[in-house]
Amino acid sequence: MFIFTLRKLNLFLFTMLLLTILSFSLSFLFPGEQLINISGQINATEQELAILATSYNQEGNIFEQYLAYVFHIFSGDLGVSMSSQTDIAGEIVRLLPATIELSMFAFVIATVIGVPIGFVAAINHNKVTDNVILAVAMIGYSVPVFWLGLLAILTFSIQLGWLPSGGQISLLYEIERPTGFMFIDILVSESPHKWQALQNAYAHIILPAFVIAAAPATVFIRLARSAMLSVLETSYIRATRAKGLSFIQIIFRHAIRNALIKVIQHIGLQFANLVTLAMITEVIFNWPGIGRWLIESIYQRDYTAIQSGLLVLSTFIFIVHIITDYTYAALNPLARGAKYGSR
Amino acid sequence: MNLLDIRNLSIELIGKNESTLAVDRVSLAMKEGEVRGLVGESGSGKSLLAQAIIGVLDDKWRVSADRFHWRGKELLHLPIEERKAIITQDVAMIFQEPISCLDPTTTIGEQLEEAIDSSQLTGNFWQRRKQRKEAAVTLLHKVGIKQHELCNKSYPHQLTEAFCQRVMIAIALARRPMLLIADEPTASMESTNQGQIFRLLASLNQLKNMSILLISHDLENITHWTNTITVMYSGQFVEAGTTEQIFNKPFHPYTQALLDSSLNANSNVPAKSRLMALPGSIPILQHLPIGCRLGPRCPRAQQACVAAPKVKNYHGHQVSCHYSLRDSYK
Ligand SMILES: Nc1ncnc2c1ncn2[C@@H]1O[C@H](COP(=O)(O)OP(=O)(O)OP(=O)(O)O)[C@@H](O)[C@H]1O
Ligand code: SF4
Ligand SMILES: [Mg+2]
Repeated sequence: MFIFTLRKLNLFLFTMLLLTILSFSLSFLFPGEQLINISGQINATEQELAILATSYNQEGNIFEQYLAYVFHIFSGDLGVSMSSQTDIAGEIVRLLPATIELSMFAFVIATVIGVPIGFVAAINHNKVTDNVILAVAMIGYSVPVFWLGLLAILTFSIQLGWLPSGGQISLLYEIERPTGFMFIDILVSESPHKWQALQNAYAHIILPAFVIAAAPATVFIRLARSAMLSVLETSYIRATRAKGLSFIQIIFRHAIRNALIKVIQHIGLQFANLVTLAMITEVIFNWPGIGRWLIESIYQRDYTAIQSGLLVLSTFIFIVHIITDYTYAALNPLARGAKYGSR
Repeated sequence: MNLLDIRNLSIELIGKNESTLAVDRVSLAMKEGEVRGLVGESGSGKSLLAQAIIGVLDDKWRVSADRFHWRGKELLHLPIEERKAIITQDVAMIFQEPISCLDPTTTIGEQLEEAIDSSQLTGNFWQRRKQRKEAAVTLLHKVGIKQHELCNKSYPHQLTEAFCQRVMIAIALARRPMLLIADEPTASMESTNQGQIFRLLASLNQLKNMSILLISHDLENITHWTNTITVMYSGQFVEAGTTEQIFNKPFHPYTQALLDSSLNANSNVPAKSRLMALPGSIPILQHLPIGCRLGPRCPRAQQACVAAPKVKNYHGHQVSCHYSLRDSYK
């Protein structure tokens, strides 16, 4: 396990190196002065600019400039937003939890719905159930997320009036935000209306989460189905049948665990996809997350925000990948000894 | 009375347009306490036949037979589930390539314990748990594994091939079978380990009067351990008889070739190797010759061989060949 961790750490360092280089070079590629792009100080005076130039080591060669940039990042300084002149790192810390919350929620929904349905399809291979599930999954995958989002708002918020159409929580509830995660904040808050607030927050998150989950869930259905099918064909399942175990016993004791291991690996990769979907959905549902913020920054040509936002988001997705790798290793005794890079 | 009596069993691979006859009317009979060898080159359909007997072939194969008697009872007319229940109750199988036949994510202990039939246990819930554990340990001791605790905690990939094979035998013994089908139990093993496995099987046969169907691609290798032998080639029945009959006076050109090649090589023939005594190689399923499938490779083939030969019986020595070697012994 120690070597496994070391390997992942190694991978992490290299990926961070590449990401920071990419983000650093963006500041040159965007139009305008590089120093202003990287710091976001559009209204700075000559003197302030001179101080900035030294702190970003503008006198040195490109490598020294890069080092200065990395130093800025690690001291928590991502520059200020060009449009609002607020500290970007602060903005991100404020907005990222809402995105994490929404993505996680959607991810759990997609997994909990998609994987079991995929298993059911595989178990009923070549029967009507299997074909129906596959057809529905195909349709679900082809529906564009913004259209689905608007449709969901139209039906459930406007026509039926069951769920709110946007936002994270009703403005009536005043909740302190020490962590930024809505559900945690509500639970630790002293508010007398804690439980109503919690319900309200649930009502707000359900619609966008389901909209985000729709496409990944169909991917999970297909992943789980093919994983289960391939497991059911292996010799060890045949051998267990010869042992005299019933079909149900085989499925629950052997097939599901082996199929899950195959699925988890791929599911982690889908998270990146899910975050992109979440970003679009945040715009539709007016969700105060980093996706909406990033897309607004793109509209406003806020280069500093785009550059830093991309860096933070990719780091976030990469960390999620590492977490799935660990889950996979914990479940599968074989992966812990796997060769470098083979998984 | 025969323990198992199969007449003209065929196995078809169902394709989109046409189906292929992978095993073509093979008969096999086993007496109680008998050790029968099932021999043939790689790709002869030995494993298919064995899997058809215990009923674990998936639905892309179709199995049909004229007779399928188990201890005098016809199983063909029974519904699938019932047939499987009867067979798995009394017949156990050791599959080829033991490592791939153990669930990689479950410990050996668990896999062994779940094979133990709950009808062997008495008492209530927790007593049964304990009994199950004890039974598993006894089984491991029986197959010659002494470090049972270590073994029970291990995962299959942590064990060697020979060790896994022993575990597979232990799992097979858990049901206290009357018939054990051992598919290449010693393939890819060193000769010391091979001997141990064979001795273990022989002692089980003598102590428990358990019948064994021993599958191998190497005739020479198993003749010390068998009473009778059935030879197959490319899914067709070739020859059957007592070990002496087959070994000393083979009637069929194919058996003769098998014997020659293992005597020439003078030691273990590696699995999946070509047969040196005959030109060419075994046909693949997609290109099976008509009539006697040995035809293209057979030194004695003549025109009549385009029609499949009938099985002839000479005092229990059965052979399926138009021009058998029987006359040459006189
Ligand atoms: N799952 C499968 N799909 C298609 N063809 C198969 C399958 N399994 C076996 N066959 C074919 O059936 C024939 C008989 O195979 P089988 O495994 O029974 O041979 P065998 O006598 O056990 O040989 P070996 O010594 O290699 O185990 C071979 O031609 C093989 O290619
Ligand atoms: S029937 Fe003909 S081809 Fe077949 S083994 Fe006998 S002689 Fe050879
Ligand atoms: Mg085989």
